[in-house]
Amino acid sequence: MDTAKKIVLFQCQWCLYAPEDQDWVDHHLPENVHLTKVPCTGRLDPLFILNAVQGGADGVMISGCVPEKCHFKEGNLSARRQMDEFSDFLNYVGYDEDRICFTWLDLQDRGRIQKDVAEFSKKVEALGKSHALNTRSVLPQGGAHD
Amino acid sequence: MTYLLKKSEVNQTLRAWTSKAHVYAPQKVQKYAQFLPVGEDFELSVEEPHNTRFPPKALFLPQSETLLKYNPQKRELESAKTPDQPRIIFGIRPCDAKAVTLLDSVFSSEDNPDPFWQARRDQSVLVGLGCDQPCATCFCTSVESGPFDRSGLDAILTDLGDTYAVEPLTERGVSLFENLTVASAETTQTIQAIQEKATREMPIAFGREGLKAHLDELFENEIWEDFAKSCLGCGICTFLCPTCFCFDIVDEVRKSTRERNWDTCMFKVYSIEASGHNPRPSRRERTRQRLMHKYSYWLDHTGQTGCTGCGRCVRYCPVGLDIRAMVRKSVATPSEVPHVD
Amino acid sequence: MTELENRILAEAQRLLSENLADVVIAFKQADTPLRPQPAFFTDAEAVNDLVYNGLCQNNLANYLTRYPREKKIAMVVRGCESRSVNALVLENQHPRENLYLIGIPCEGIVDWRKIVEAVGEDVLSVQDQADIVVVRTPKGEFTLDRAALMHGSCLRCTQKNPLGTDVTIGKPVAEQDPHLLRERVKNFEALGIQTRYEYFRQESERCIRCYACREACPMCYCEECFVDHTGPRWTESGVTPAGMQGWHIIRAFHQTGRCTSCGACERACPMDIHMTYLTDKLNTDMYDKYQFVAGLDAKTQTPFAAFNLDDKNRFVAGGTSK
Repeated sequence: MDTAKKIVLFQCQWCLYAPEDQDWVDHHLPENVHLTKVPCTGRLDPLFILNAVQGGADGVMISGCVPEKCHFKEGNLSARRQMDEFSDFLNYVGYDEDRICFTWLDLQDRGRIQKDVAEFSKKVEALGKSHALNTRSVLPQGGAHD
Repeated sequence: MTYLLKKSEVNQTLRAWTSKAHVYAPQKVQKYAQFLPVGEDFELSVEEPHNTRFPPKALFLPQSETLLKYNPQKRELESAKTPDQPRIIFGIRPCDAKAVTLLDSVFSSEDNPDPFWQARRDQSVLVGLGCDQPCATCFCTSVESGPFDRSGLDAILTDLGDTYAVEPLTERGVSLFENLTVASAETTQTIQAIQEKATREMPIAFGREGLKAHLDELFENEIWEDFAKSCLGCGICTFLCPTCFCFDIVDEVRKSTRERNWDTCMFKVYSIEASGHNPRPSRRERTRQRLMHKYSYWLDHTGQTGCTGCGRCVRYCPVGLDIRAMVRKSVATPSEVPHVD
Repeated sequence: MTELENRILAEAQRLLSENLADVVIAFKQADTPLRPQPAFFTDAEAVNDLVYNGLCQNNLANYLTRYPREKKIAMVVRGCESRSVNALVLENQHPRENLYLIGIPCEGIVDWRKIVEAVGEDVLSVQDQADIVVVRTPKGEFTLDRAALMHGSCLRCTQKNPLGTDVTIGKPVAEQDPHLLRERVKNFEALGIQTRYEYFRQESERCIRCYACREACPMCYCEECFVDHTGPRWTESGVTPAGMQGWHIIRAFHQTGRCTSCGACERACPMDIHMTYLTDKLNTDMYDKYQFVAGLDAKTQTPFAAFNLDDKNRFVAGGTSK
């Protein structure tokens, strides 16, 4: 019985400076955390988050570079504005905004990602399984709208 | 033989049917009626003189249907099972029932029948409700049909006030209605009069004599540009139309299924080809396509008009386009093709 | 013809006969009593068919993006439409110099659904007469109170008087309490997250993916909509819960900072789906968070076209952020 809470992690490929941290994310992420790397958090489209949520993500975590330290200068700022509003909007239609979090990582933040993932996992565990918007399912026999 | 069924006994009749089949009947969803399964607690919604907004064609061709399932781990393909569900559809209007028979020419072809369509057709009994008070948007009599057209029906009902007259039309229809009072000769005459009156009084929307040939001649006419101006290019007319049948097949990769969904010629992407070329690049071509398909190409393919005058496209077009007016305007537009005498 | 219609007609005829416009976009009474048709007058004669009344329920700015930039377009615009025009000009969809806006202070749009609810769908004629609406059906004639027939968006309208027009016809109308829109959003939020989801499901899952909402919206003009992408496949195409919900969520979100709450989307929907409660939320947020209102002018950038270091970190955890 798959009771572990599913977490989707969108990781900006530049935000982990320490090779041990990147190695941990690449090979030692807990089983319930699904990784998708993006070249910058600015690449994130609300559709990415929605897809994760509709696929059953109980939590969505986005890790990126701190403001002013974005590898592409301002991508993370654009992401912040849009993702802020989108998580607010998803909350409005039923997906608890506490299930979405952003973590900024700076150059000197070594060993932080592990802590952030652990902390977020605990939070999501407490929130429980998500049912709202978790809708990617096969059509019932006979089709739909009949 | 015509029988009488009290309206107060309809609900229990439908409930009794549920022991032998799934019963569908118009019920209210929010403020409008839709064909829904009849359950323990249901409220029939057939008092409105018009048909349901969403067409009952969906009971035979669902808007979305899984055709194939793929198991990526086992690398196995599994066809969706054809439906196996005896059904009784109560309260379908003659325009919608006729439309289902028209769609048989598409999906029930002898050499290549659609198994999903065919199974549903074979397993369904249609109990029609004729229209004694056709609406201003109805024009079935202009397209070879009528408010009491019996095409595709296993039985037809006529509203007599607090009773329905029931005329079984097929064996399956007969088996549905047992222990009903037989209508007297006098009542039978009244019923006939009601049906004739409704048919007679519906205004003719346009003449069909020579319509197809004339439309064909107007193919390159600028009148289509005119019609297309306000058209939004949405899918309302096609999705609510009981005779529209176009579909798109998509692979929903994340669900590992192949699904069939209704499609519409009104969308630009409908006719885009793999090369990027689009034979219907603007609204002019697409609006023309809709009208020509219904009143010309259908005749080429099946000998029948592809419209049963249900009026939904007229009632729900967001910009108030009326297909009857478009046909009339086309009729009044002289074609520039010289006639050889 | 009413006095107002006559004045609009005169202006339209003047523009066409003096070659100041290639086309005048307004409404005409066509064939369906509940819906006057958007009309595109190119010669002064045809303008006699022009109508203007509360049943004119489409946002005419929607048609702007169909015309090449060189075309001189004159258009009848009410409050929300004038804002949509501004939003489109801001997005460079048509140069302002090639637009001539005939502004009309708006008394609100009559919701066809409310008429149908009162008298049934079989409607023979409708007459908008200032305070009342007279509807004729086979069952008889009904006189309905116009105020009770207002479309929801008009009840919450924050801009009845058109902005940035070249000429305004008709007396200015008193604006309503600007907080009515926000109130609606707050009331919805107060329902609690579970009830909100149930409501959202109930509404969005009636969707038949006809995209009338998209086509009626002046701000939806993308050559290729996200629902038509197949590589990658963002949203399910069919009437599946994920597909229907995804459609409504993302279409609304793509309107952030662009939507003028005109309600044309809702009026176009054949399945009576509510959707303005979604865009109203986004519009309210844009004001609350960035002091931005779409379409007040054709210069101010939308919040999503910008960002700055001082944006708040509302949902950021960890790191050395502020």
